[in-house]
Amino acid sequence: MDRRTFVKGSCLGSATLLLHGLDPAMRADEAFPVTPSIELHGLPGHKSSPLGMPGLFPGRVVELRDPNAIVGNRVSQPIVRRMLQESMKELTGEESAHAAWAKFVEPHDIVGIKINPSGAPACCSSPEILREIIASVQSAGVSARNILVYDRYSFEMDIGSYQALLPPGVSVFGIQEAFAGSSGYEPNIYCEANFFGEWETRSYMASVVAHDVTKIINVPTMKDHSAAGVTGALKNLAYGTFNNVARTHRTPHSFTNPLIGMMCTVEPLRSKAVLHIMDGMRQVWHGGPLTQVQDFIDQPGMLLVATDPVAMDTIELEHIESKRREKGVPSLWKHDPSSITTNSNDFYHDATKNLFFRQPGHVAAAGKLGLGVADLKQIDHRKLSA
Amino acid sequence: MTTETAKSKAPADWPTLLKDNTRAGGQQKNPARSPEKVVWQYRAGSSVRSAPILDGGILYVNSLNGVLHAIDVQVGTSKWKFQAPGQVHSTPSLYENRILFGCDDGKVYALDRDAGTKLWEAPTGAEVWASPVVLNGTVYFGSADAKVYAVDARSGRQRWAHELGGRIYSTIYATGQRLYVGCGDGKVYSLDASSGAPLWSTPTGNGIVSSPAVTGDMVLIGSEDFFVYAVNSGTGEVRWKYETGLGIASSPAVSGDLTFIGSKDGFLYALETQTGRLRWKTAVGDVVTASPVIGDGVVCIQAGGTFALDIGTGNIVWRAAMAGTVQSVPVLAGDMIYLASLSGEIYALR
Repeated sequence: MDRRTFVKGSCLGSATLLLHGLDPAMRADEAFPVTPSIELHGLPGHKSSPLGMPGLFPGRVVELRDPNAIVGNRVSQPIVRRMLQESMKELTGEESAHAAWAKFVEPHDIVGIKINPSGAPACCSSPEILREIIASVQSAGVSARNILVYDRYSFEMDIGSYQALLPPGVSVFGIQEAFAGSSGYEPNIYCEANFFGEWETRSYMASVVAHDVTKIINVPTMKDHSAAGVTGALKNLAYGTFNNVARTHRTPHSFTNPLIGMMCTVEPLRSKAVLHIMDGMRQVWHGGPLTQVQDFIDQPGMLLVATDPVAMDTIELEHIESKRREKGVPSLWKHDPSSITTNSNDFYHDATKNLFFRQPGHVAAAGKLGLGVADLKQIDHRKLSA
Repeated sequence: MTTETAKSKAPADWPTLLKDNTRAGGQQKNPARSPEKVVWQYRAGSSVRSAPILDGGILYVNSLNGVLHAIDVQVGTSKWKFQAPGQVHSTPSLYENRILFGCDDGKVYALDRDAGTKLWEAPTGAEVWASPVVLNGTVYFGSADAKVYAVDARSGRQRWAHELGGRIYSTIYATGQRLYVGCGDGKVYSLDASSGAPLWSTPTGNGIVSSPAVTGDMVLIGSEDFFVYAVNSGTGEVRWKYETGLGIASSPAVSGDLTFIGSKDGFLYALETQTGRLRWKTAVGDVVTASPVIGDGVVCIQAGGTFALDIGTGNIVWRAAMAGTVQSVPVLAGDMIYLASLSGEIYALR
């Protein structure tokens, strides 16, 4: 054992437990391949923070909807400003939004804002919400030059025009320019597993997360995900921080469960991710994460705020399942071989089709790893009206 | 008035973004038929997020890793390369023997176009993605530090800088004594070219990435608020606006009585320039962020692949699928087409 945080043994145990304990649909899937061993190598000597996941308010999720927050696919800046302020006060119990933000960021912090541009332009982190988050972080005393807005792929950031739409002084960048390449990643912090015989078996943590930022504010969007079931706070953090993650799913199988949760436990990611603000202005209920088909994108005008990513994603999963029931399409949990297609055009235009057996159990699996509360009965779900 | 970067010396030259300062994007006699073969392929070694330019048989292409490539179009090989200190998203432009471009290190560089060596650099406070534009010996460009800069084209010495309300990624349109530019604060600005003093500003509903075109007394530009705007170039008054399905990062190209522009809703639009009335729109991909260029009877746009549409009807005449780019602009030159791709491949097609 070297100085690295080597947790192979415990993670193997967790993974096995999760696969057979949390996902009843998976148990019925006799052909599902055995989960390989997954090794996690975190930052040596990193001291965990009490602000780290599940954070200051485990199990608490604040939900605020305003039907006027998005009209005709345009997000209202003044309405999301008020929604964010009210949600933050409710989450923290503070009288003012300023005091609420001060619980998470301090003037000396370097704050990373992890966005989700992967569905741009149809469904991605709204620049309007990002502007309010940036203004709030600045109100806590952090200068613009110490605010970094980032995601993995710079070309997706370009499509969203984030560089031009955010305030001057803030850094806006993609960790890597395209799908290939490992520059921008820390070679000593990684997850290692061989899922399908791939030649590169490691996924490295982004250097900006490992070394540059002191706090992360996670801004996922509300989407179903063809491999993971949903993409929310957990997946936005895990698969947006580590590289080489698409290798975890190959039609029809997906190892997003347990890898998503396991990645979120790796330090310093776990300690730095102090707040999650889910952009539910738009909600993709089929075709995620990349769909541009408006037929499957609702506009509920919702904002979720939490420090607990598991509780947040559990609520997200409920919303998307509810929408799919309403639309009469199969549950995210259903593993029906006849629904699987390798034709992406079929997938994008038929809500009964999918590319993989989805793994929404990754949320509960992350709960088992201590990242938060997955039991709906235990979640303090606070719904605010507009 | 002279617009040095605006004047193509030969029909095949393409010395600045969208060919010249008219942003007409070509309008030379080019074949409408599909290219039949790849004449050469050049590997830039990094993604290309800007548009190539062509002059004197040399194609100049900036790749994202900060390398400016000067490529001999006869053979498709490198004449020289220049390594900038940062990433480069800026489309280069030409002025006399200089080639100019912005860099993410916050500087605009001027190189000797024959040798590829640095002549001067002009600093700003943040990345420069816009393409520098030269008018009467002065280089104008916007920076992400929210300022518009004017520097001497021969020395790089700053003449003035004027701060606007947001990041600037839009390339300036320079004409007469006026500059026009879009800004991240959502406004279209007109500035006095000699001092940078604002003459007017017109708000839109969201930030602007699109670069303006000017025709007659109208400034045409797209906004992330989904609208195409036509504003009076003298007063900033909105003449008309046309709503597309999503935000607009594409820049307009004008030909005859039509204005062409792409939208992130995946359509290429042809609007009547005087009225804003829709002549046609055609779906060309999931997302369009690139700018159209105009050939002989066709308008070309890159959206995943490269599409040529009949200028009168919007029907797709041909498509070339090898250039998987979302940001670049094809160069139409005689019977040749030059394409740069997101994966860093540069193609010469005939």
